[in-house]
Amino acid sequence: MIVRLSKSFIFRDVYYIITRPFWPGEYQQEILRKSLNKELNIKLNQLEKDNLRLRKLLDLQSFSEGKKLNSSVISRNIGSWWKKIILNKGSQNGVSTGDAVIGPGGLIGIVENTSRLTSSVQLLTAPNSKVGVWNQRANLHGLLIGVGTKTPKLFFYSKNVDIQIGDYILSSPASTILPPNIPIGIVQSIDNESNPNTIATIQLTANPEAIDWVQIFRMKF
Amino acid sequence: MKFELNQYTSLISFLLIPLLIFWNPSWLSLMGHQAYWPIFWLLPWALINGPFKSLLIGFLLGFILDTINADLYTQIPGLMICGFWFGKVGSLNYFHSTPLQFGLTAAIGSLICSLIYFFQMVVNLFFNESPVWLFSYGVQNIFAQVLLTGLLAPVFCKWFYFLFSKKNF
Repeated sequence: MIVRLSKSFIFRDVYYIITRPFWPGEYQQEILRKSLNKELNIKLNQLEKDNLRLRKLLDLQSFSEGKKLNSSVISRNIGSWWKKIILNKGSQNGVSTGDAVIGPGGLIGIVENTSRLTSSVQLLTAPNSKVGVWNQRANLHGLLIGVGTKTPKLFFYSKNVDIQIGDYILSSPASTILPPNIPIGIVQSIDNESNPNTIATIQLTANPEAIDWVQIFRMKF
Repeated sequence: MKFELNQYTSLISFLLIPLLIFWNPSWLSLMGHQAYWPIFWLLPWALINGPFKSLLIGFLLGFILDTINADLYTQIPGLMICGFWFGKVGSLNYFHSTPLQFGLTAAIGSLICSLIYFFQMVVNLFFNESPVWLFSYGVQNIFAQVLLTGLLAPVFCKWFYFLFSKKNF
């Protein structure tokens, strides 16, 4: 009987119930999580520094914090023919045509023109928008073209490429126009029937309808 | 003096159109689409001032709106045609300012402007050999814009018509 009781782990379960109030609580979990975050941040900073150093060695486009400029959206024209937003920073603040605009989630557009106090941003969804992008997993380059809807089309330069639904699309690491490796969207569907290129529909990760603050990456600094 | 007051009302409301376009109130949108705001001002103004003045004001309005959007396409031809047509409708004496007439006339005007704008887009894409996926976007945009303009016109146009034609303040 005693052996059976001991084999059914009853003492362990009793110990569980008795000691439960004294277990390491949420506070200790929080301490652990903070330590882990600190460790990851240190690693991230180190990797960013390495990345910058290597990009400089390869003479590729690189971006430091000093080139970023926070700005708020003061006008939004998204639903009609014009897919544009207007920001409260202009040429007076060093913004110039061609600067990349990034919101929470990723790239949202390119500065189309500037006045002294404001700048107009053409969104990636605008029919005239064309941006060179990159798929990291398959190491493929393509051209993202706005077609007026919320989901722009991605043209690959060849047929039957190794692309999958759910793949991330980033700005090209070799781009001289955009900051490198900025998230842009996720592959929503693929059209392999189209000729002569494979075309994918992209769901953008940043939603300009819900964004009030953006960051402008000044290309001419 | 009364005449001047009416003129000032026209001028101030004319200058407010670009600000309204910048503001772009989302609570007056349909599936994210907006009404064609310039029509709300142009229709009542043209009904009162006749076709030739309205042709000119259509040009001026289009010119201002083009400077706001600063893209490849222009809104001038659409607004000039609408201005002339609205003015003609007003001068022919069969416009009785009923909500239905305001709604229908504004909706047709919005359709003319949208079609001309979309036609320019298609022509540009044709010459640039870009893919023509714009049709679904264009049709959806035109439909939403015409519907919204037609629905809101009886309110806004009637109000502006009252303001522009009011003899006593």
